[in-house]
Amino acid sequence: MTLETEAVERFRVVGGSPAHHDFVDKVKGSLLYAADWKLPGMLHGKVVRSAVAPGRMVSVDIQEARAIPGVVAVLTAQDVPSNRVVEHASGGLGELTVEMPVLAHDRVRYVGEPVAVVAAVSAEIAEQAAELVAVDYADLPGVFDAEQALREDAPRVHEDGNVLVNWRLSSGDVEAGLAEADVVVEGEYRSQHVEHAYLEPEAGVGWIENGVLTLRVSTQVIEHVTDIAAILELPENKVRVIASYMGGGFGGKEDMTVEPYLALLVWHTKRPVRMIWDRQESMLASTKRHPFVMRYRTGVRRDGTILAQHVDIIGDAGAYPCLSARVLFAGAALSCGPYRTPNASIRSRAVFTNNVPTSAFRGFGAMQVVFGYESQMDRIAERLGLPADEVRRRNFLARGDFIPTGESLETAVAVPETLDRALSRLGERGEPSGPTKRVGRGFACGMQPYGRTIWFYDRASAWLSLLGDGTLLIRTGVTDLGAGQAASLCQIASEILGVALDDISIYIGDTALNPPAGGTFATRQLYMSGNALLTAARELVDRIAPVAAELLDCPADALVFQDGLVRVGKGERLGTGLSLAELVKECGDRGVSTAHLSTWRAEAGTFDPSTGKGGSFPDYTYGTHAADVEVDVETGEVVVLRYVASHDVGRAINPVRVEGQIQGGAMQGLGYALLEDIVLEEGNNVSTLFANYLIPNALDMPDIEVEIVESGEGKGPLGARGIGEPPIAPCAAAIANAITDAIGRRPSRLPMTPERVLELLAEEDQ
Amino acid sequence: MSKVSVNLSVNGSQHEVWVFPNDLLLDVLHDELGLADVRYGCGEGVCGTCTVQLDGEPVSACLLFAVQVTGREITTVRGLLGEDDSLHPIQECFLRHGGAQCGFCTPGMILTAHSLAERANRPSRAEIRYELVGNLCRCTGYTKILDAVEEYVDSRPSEGA
Amino acid sequence: MVCAPFEYVRAGTFDEAVGVLIEHGEDAQLLAGGQSLVPMLALRLARPTVLVDINDIGALPPEADGAVLPLPTLTRHRVLLDSPVVAREVPLLADCVRHIGNVRVRNRGTVGGSMAHADPTGEIACVALTLDAQVVAHGPAGRRTIGARDFFVTYLTTALEPAEVLAEVRFPVLRPGQGWSFQEMVRRVSDFAVVAVSASVDLEPDGATVRAIDVALAGVADRPVLAEREALAPLLGTTAARDLVASAARSVADATSPEGDVHASGAYRRRLVDVLTRRAITEALDRAREGSIAA
Repeated sequence: MTLETEAVERFRVVGGSPAHHDFVDKVKGSLLYAADWKLPGMLHGKVVRSAVAPGRMVSVDIQEARAIPGVVAVLTAQDVPSNRVVEHASGGLGELTVEMPVLAHDRVRYVGEPVAVVAAVSAEIAEQAAELVAVDYADLPGVFDAEQALREDAPRVHEDGNVLVNWRLSSGDVEAGLAEADVVVEGEYRSQHVEHAYLEPEAGVGWIENGVLTLRVSTQVIEHVTDIAAILELPENKVRVIASYMGGGFGGKEDMTVEPYLALLVWHTKRPVRMIWDRQESMLASTKRHPFVMRYRTGVRRDGTILAQHVDIIGDAGAYPCLSARVLFAGAALSCGPYRTPNASIRSRAVFTNNVPTSAFRGFGAMQVVFGYESQMDRIAERLGLPADEVRRRNFLARGDFIPTGESLETAVAVPETLDRALSRLGERGEPSGPTKRVGRGFACGMQPYGRTIWFYDRASAWLSLLGDGTLLIRTGVTDLGAGQAASLCQIASEILGVALDDISIYIGDTALNPPAGGTFATRQLYMSGNALLTAARELVDRIAPVAAELLDCPADALVFQDGLVRVGKGERLGTGLSLAELVKECGDRGVSTAHLSTWRAEAGTFDPSTGKGGSFPDYTYGTHAADVEVDVETGEVVVLRYVASHDVGRAINPVRVEGQIQGGAMQGLGYALLEDIVLEEGNNVSTLFANYLIPNALDMPDIEVEIVESGEGKGPLGARGIGEPPIAPCAAAIANAITDAIGRRPSRLPMTPERVLELLAEEDQ
Repeated sequence: MSKVSVNLSVNGSQHEVWVFPNDLLLDVLHDELGLADVRYGCGEGVCGTCTVQLDGEPVSACLLFAVQVTGREITTVRGLLGEDDSLHPIQECFLRHGGAQCGFCTPGMILTAHSLAERANRPSRAEIRYELVGNLCRCTGYTKILDAVEEYVDSRPSEGA
Repeated sequence: MVCAPFEYVRAGTFDEAVGVLIEHGEDAQLLAGGQSLVPMLALRLARPTVLVDINDIGALPPEADGAVLPLPTLTRHRVLLDSPVVAREVPLLADCVRHIGNVRVRNRGTVGGSMAHADPTGEIACVALTLDAQVVAHGPAGRRTIGARDFFVTYLTTALEPAEVLAEVRFPVLRPGQGWSFQEMVRRVSDFAVVAVSASVDLEPDGATVRAIDVALAGVADRPVLAEREALAPLLGTTAARDLVASAARSVADATSPEGDVHASGAYRRRLVDVLTRRAITEALDRAREGSIAA
């Protein structure tokens, strides 16, 4: 299914893996992140957070804190002009309207909720002042479990109830399908709170410049500028957000982090302020991945054909909405995976609790459900005595097939190819390394959307300017998570315009100076901004090519933009041409602009929540991960021996970065599967130390072996699909299936700790 | 509590800095000396983003006070660059293999690997993994980092060879 | 993350350090490698007003003194890992150090600091208990020796008096007929032990009969502890058949009552004690038998 030969012929820059400007700065250590700016007279900001929850705020005393020399401001709820953030993450399709205060005013709903904010001349004084802000709380009854929060008599986190949103999707007739089934397989699966754990903690610097409140922060979404303006009741054009290159985001910098607190302090003190969240503060109070409880009932024919599936998902939203409504939609929409499910009934609820809020995290609801549906597929195979891959192959979706929302798939579904590549790469199984060891093999397939849900009318803009010396300037509002978002755009521009990568400068992430591109989330940036950039570059070529054609006395479509030159690409005059610098000059003489702005719009559609039908996502990225594990049956320890990840990326714009995305995503997924857990005890986070939150290190996991499939069929630029989120999704299911193969017992709860594996083995002994 | 003067030798340059006794080396390097390549990541000595070499050996700058290191030689990743700002061969290896994504962990990773290479005679991939356990990376999955370090150590002359 | 203010004092000798401790009492805190202390200061879990930096005291490279390997308090973990003397004379110590932290922790962390911090999961403390090492304390009235088995009192608390500084830990060197093993289970490589077990077995000159057996456990109590003597007693005077080792290990585990934390429950820890103790004794026996044959 690869188009490698063709790709080599068709592309010069795309499909190679050049090291860009950002890589060079990164290995030199010279890239400046959010915490790396220091301004004259800069203050240090600190958020004061609740130590209990839920609780009624009886009194807030800031006198002692305010009295410390060096403290410049101590602000509480009453100092916030408009003290609310309202998130309608479903896009107005039916979730409760719940306001989240910037600073809590009458009650706190989770431990770590901001109650005040301090600015002082040094970080030490800010810290001291924060300790002295005295808040008296009266205890309120709380609820810390999403299933308990669904009970009639559960304490209410918000007045209007604990169910933020209740999505229902259905197709066909599930009861009839289940009745017709030869076998019905049931399963319940539970996942945990997970922390993004980007190495760069949330940070930013703010100042006022020309009367404009300016923030330079680590954020995935500069468009929060409108929220910041609303909070301060400022005109939107009086706030500017600049995004620094991020030290990782993974969805954790998709909601606002430091922005409103920094903005308040800057606006109030009229001085530059820097705020860096402590790691432990970030662990305590930053948003987390939703724990899901997933209940599946799957009816199949004896030959493994899926007839019907019932799915019920409960997600712990924590104390405020954030993006939960959309996360639970993605969970619902993807809950049947890459399989034809003619009859489906899906319910997916986001439920408030007094836990830390959950929100976006790489995989965004669509990854939790892979653990559900891929465990089900293996269970079905076990029940029917069929090979696990055969059951899947019988049900794989193909182009033109319908998914439960009633949409048909428009591009290739290359999941069978990824399955073949992953399994053949694993090859022969190994032998156990000792008498207490058992080896097992498992795999999991998955599909993950790229692009926003289509009822958001997504669009992205990019601006190009070919300069007088033939170099190129790109301006676009994208933010760069560290995955090379900016670099990929340069590579596409270089491909189309023939400007060497070293001759391209790109300016990103600035609401004041760059055309809006939308945030970097939902695996949308290559898809959206890549298409915007590609369109802009092609349109620019279309505009300036006639000038070159006139000069070179050839038809415009005979021209090739390559190596800083415009040449005649066909016929006997191959190789002659003019430099881009000359072309720019000639364009100038003729009044032809060599700067160009282009806006690219994603396909749009609507979704009807009452019927559960309509448009959901633009397209999907498919993949299969396969693993060999070894389990120590005495200690329950699981060692991953081999791990292969295969995805159809449509077209690899930069194969090294694509591999890097897949390897990093898989590693994060392995942490999710085996190690990571934010442990909350009655809402109290006991995993706030980085030493206690176990992200994988260089010794914990094997090398991630990558098999890239290029179907050439993505909706992104040049046929690319998004690869940001997909590689995290299949890991937990692949490992669970491998453990099951090794020990004959099925894990159904994440993470699969040694202790839990041992408990499974103990069940077997009974 | 008053400030005291300390003499810091960083990347071959001498600096006299006035610090409080409770100022961490990390904060002094980052905020006072402008070495943004030494980064706060956790403050527990766990993540490795503040790694510097102290007399050639990696340490956590978040677990040392600036007053402690007078007279010692501190190297940050910038100190590996050539005089004309050219990349050190180990940095070239990271570049070639895509051993960085967001780049936040990269200086610490490079410094730890560099000191291993200086000390050990062609360490194996397993030994490299062992040495790098304290430098966490959340983006790359380590494979490309290990490839980069492996190429670097293999490119060095073997002792006794 | 900023430490609360403190006065910083450098002590170049033990007497100087003791002098500061006498002057400031419990407000003063010794700073050695700082790998456990500094995070506690930064998180404001500890707030000494005086920090006494003893790093200038330094430490000579490890050198055996007859049947004892004396390790000065400032011997870094890194030295233990690299030293051929330690590998030869106290191999159990060399083995355990591989499990301690990461390269940065080992470059700064010290033998004395680990012992004095008395973390319940401390590897060196576990080995000191197993081998019955001796702790030398330097105090106002000179030096005294405390057995490692009397040294750990409770959580992060030792038998050191307020004005005493740990000066040296004296480890017995490997004896003929002695075997050893260090077993550790961690959730993530390089992290604090969930459970660690260190074992030493001495065989009679016949190379088969157990003369002495010592096992210490980390991660199962408020401090590193010695395994119950009665649990191991059935092995003495026997050739330590496999089922006997297994039942002794089970008895060792049964005598513990570990508490749970974020990484593991108490019950799971007890199970690990059983498994790791059996593995440790088995490996120690194998090494002792091999050593006896070689000798």
